[in-house]
Amino acid sequence: MSWVWIVLAPLLGGLLYGGERVLRARMQRRMGPPLLQPFYDMFKLMDKRTLIVHAAHALLGAAHFFLLWLTVAALFLGWNLLYIIFLHLFATMTLVWAGYSVKSPYSHVGSNRELLALVAYEPVLILVAVGFYLGTGSFEITAILRDQSLLLQMPLLFVALLMIIPVKVKKSPFDVVEAHQEIVGGVEVEYSGLFYEFLYMARFMEYLFVYSFVYLFGGGSHFLGASLAVGAFFVVNLVDNATARVRPAEMVGILYKIALPLALINIIGMLL
Amino acid sequence: MEMVLLLVLLPVVAALLLFLLPSERLAYTVTGTAAGVLSAAAFLLYMTETPLLFGLSRSAELAIVAADVILLLYFVYQGVRFNAKAVTALAVVQLLLYGWAEGMLPASEAAPVIVDELSRFMFLIINVVGGVIALYAVKYMEYEAAEPVRKRLFVAYLLIFLSVMNAIVIVNSLMLFFFLFEMTTLASYLLIGFRGDALSRENALRALWMNQVGGVAILLAALTAIGGFGTVMVSELLRADGGALLLAVALLGMAALVKGASIPFDGWLIGAMVAPTPVSAMLHSATMVKIAPFLILKLSPALAATAPGGMIALIGASVFVAASYLALSRTLLKEILGYSTIALLGLMMSLAAIGSEESRMLAMALMLFHALAKALLFLTAGVIEKLHHAKEITDMKGLVHRAPRSVFYMMFGFVSLTLPPFGLFMGKLFAITSVAALLREHPWLLAVLLGIVVGSVLLVLLYFKVASALLARPSDIVRGDGEEMPFGFSLPLLLLGVLTVTAAAGFITIQSDGLLALFALPLLFVALLPFLVRAMERFDRTQPYHCGEKEGFDAALVYFELSASARRLLYGGFGALFVLVALSGALS
Repeated sequence: MSWVWIVLAPLLGGLLYGGERVLRARMQRRMGPPLLQPFYDMFKLMDKRTLIVHAAHALLGAAHFFLLWLTVAALFLGWNLLYIIFLHLFATMTLVWAGYSVKSPYSHVGSNRELLALVAYEPVLILVAVGFYLGTGSFEITAILRDQSLLLQMPLLFVALLMIIPVKVKKSPFDVVEAHQEIVGGVEVEYSGLFYEFLYMARFMEYLFVYSFVYLFGGGSHFLGASLAVGAFFVVNLVDNATARVRPAEMVGILYKIALPLALINIIGMLL
Repeated sequence: MEMVLLLVLLPVVAALLLFLLPSERLAYTVTGTAAGVLSAAAFLLYMTETPLLFGLSRSAELAIVAADVILLLYFVYQGVRFNAKAVTALAVVQLLLYGWAEGMLPASEAAPVIVDELSRFMFLIINVVGGVIALYAVKYMEYEAAEPVRKRLFVAYLLIFLSVMNAIVIVNSLMLFFFLFEMTTLASYLLIGFRGDALSRENALRALWMNQVGGVAILLAALTAIGGFGTVMVSELLRADGGALLLAVALLGMAALVKGASIPFDGWLIGAMVAPTPVSAMLHSATMVKIAPFLILKLSPALAATAPGGMIALIGASVFVAASYLALSRTLLKEILGYSTIALLGLMMSLAAIGSEESRMLAMALMLFHALAKALLFLTAGVIEKLHHAKEITDMKGLVHRAPRSVFYMMFGFVSLTLPPFGLFMGKLFAITSVAALLREHPWLLAVLLGIVVGSVLLVLLYFKVASALLARPSDIVRGDGEEMPFGFSLPLLLLGVLTVTAAAGFITIQSDGLLALFALPLLFVALLPFLVRAMERFDRTQPYHCGEKEGFDAALVYFELSASARRLLYGGFGALFVLVALSGALS
């Protein structure tokens, strides 16, 4: 069964992304694009002439997408949470690498920011995994989903996770990595046509990745997990609409001063 | 038994031969044979199971005492000659303490030399990695402006260093350990000062006095052990209980922190960068600094779950973060690599000091993989320095276009330090698992866990910052020429690369078979690469977007620098922690 979901993951992510655009449009009281807009975009991009800077750059972009797909597959298959986080790290690094491999100022600044973002969110992500480990005695997702919900044991970790979601899905106030108005999309700027489509779909995978993490807080109760994911989805978009972008250094500062201590306090609480 | 003697004596013989034979080809033959035989012997020894015990004859003991006194007098002489008061003072203190300890030295039945599992593992690191570095050094010195005799002398020094290292990992007596510890100090002093200019001299003297602090700590530990338990044998000390045991162990731990160049003693290792690059490779990977985690590992049965053990684990984890951060303000490639060594040594010491079965194993694995990766990185840095005349990363922008092979090895080194499926990464991953498993018992380990997590991402930031300078490459429209690399350079690099991959595959297989699948992925990618690149030919090429600017762009490097006051606070803090190790040993 999970194999079907894995194969369908890009479609699922596309719908999620399309749904998000509709939701944000409603929040801003505008009409917004149709739900299937990501797929229309895909057909349009496939139709465009693909220009690449050099082969390695284009290939790394594609590798980024496939590695993220693999990460999501590992999540659906219920692997070890730490391995999944580091598989995701690997995927992120291919993108950073791609960004550095061209002589483009925007691409380089984008990669620099991607690394800074990594420094900001990775510790929190790992601490969330450690929290699950302390709660259930295992890093395996299958074990976490069999156990009862850990939400009451790790409320602060949940808040910390909520705080890093905007970094990963590139939402205000932490959308510094992409920052269209400043750095023209960062790493994305040098991609076009087919290879831009890979990056576009990579974003769907990031959505699935982070919201699956939220889902884990539901434990054995699928209803609770799903409601938490939907709630987080809603809150993240609400915050996105209500805030302006912070500077990269401020993002790291905020996450290290608030999200990380929250996560630590929660874990200390679980230990005592 | 013969094998162990071979490991200790062969490098010395080879060094003598090198010094006497005035031909370059013979230099290759001698170094190559020595490296091969040493590696093979180390490997065969690693396969054997039984621990070996050695006694020392009375005359050998006397000879060592005499050598030690001469060594210390030489330090005094160097201190006086170059007007380095710290060196002189510390050498005199060492002489006094040494005389006192020798005077009180009790007779002991324990063997002064023991070859156990840990020593055999260290043999493997020292001889395999050290041998490759010595081989590389022969070629490297061809590019160095020095007389032929001094060039051969340089490689001879490196080999002698290996001999000393092979000896230090098997000694059981603290007095012998002190002697060999000071011998490594001497070796590093000579190698750092090799170029003989003012800066080399100054840095060599700094390395000398800082390491002497470690020597003093060892002597104090020996005196404590004699006073408390009437023995200087580590094996007997570890069996002892209560009393001054923790103080002795804490003092030895402090010596390890000094040798491992933990902040605030980072100055000596960073200063060692003025020496020819094989020295850095040797100090950072196979020898010298590896004494630090080795010593902690040796003591870990006594350190586990004690106050000094906890202090060292905390210091190690904090150094892991702090040194990674300090490196972010540097531009000299070797300095960046140096700080990352200090950081990773901190991690190894931390894991060793926690002292559970699993964390000790991980510390050992990290030592091996770090030795391979750091040797590879430093040797590549040497190639870039000699063939492409760049030392600063700001001069290396877009190097991939001119020197694709060097950059490939450099990137391979970075990737093997940070990403799956390589050993160092796996070590960090398992370290998180193993520390998390201990959290319920020892909640304070949360600080270590946080250190591992934050330090790891900072190191990723650091390495990929360097990568950003190297990798920026123009569009395919501009063709590069490829890179010529002499065989004397490419062979050692290739050897280290192959060793890294095989060792990582072995490590993962030991840990869990399922993870081996991770290896398939990059391999598949590499195998498909020619096909993929050909497939890319049907796409049109373009130039990067510059927003209409005509200015050329190479790379946007990021720097993070501590303010002067924060820096003082950091160094002061670590200094205080260092002293606290001794206090925690004395009070508990």
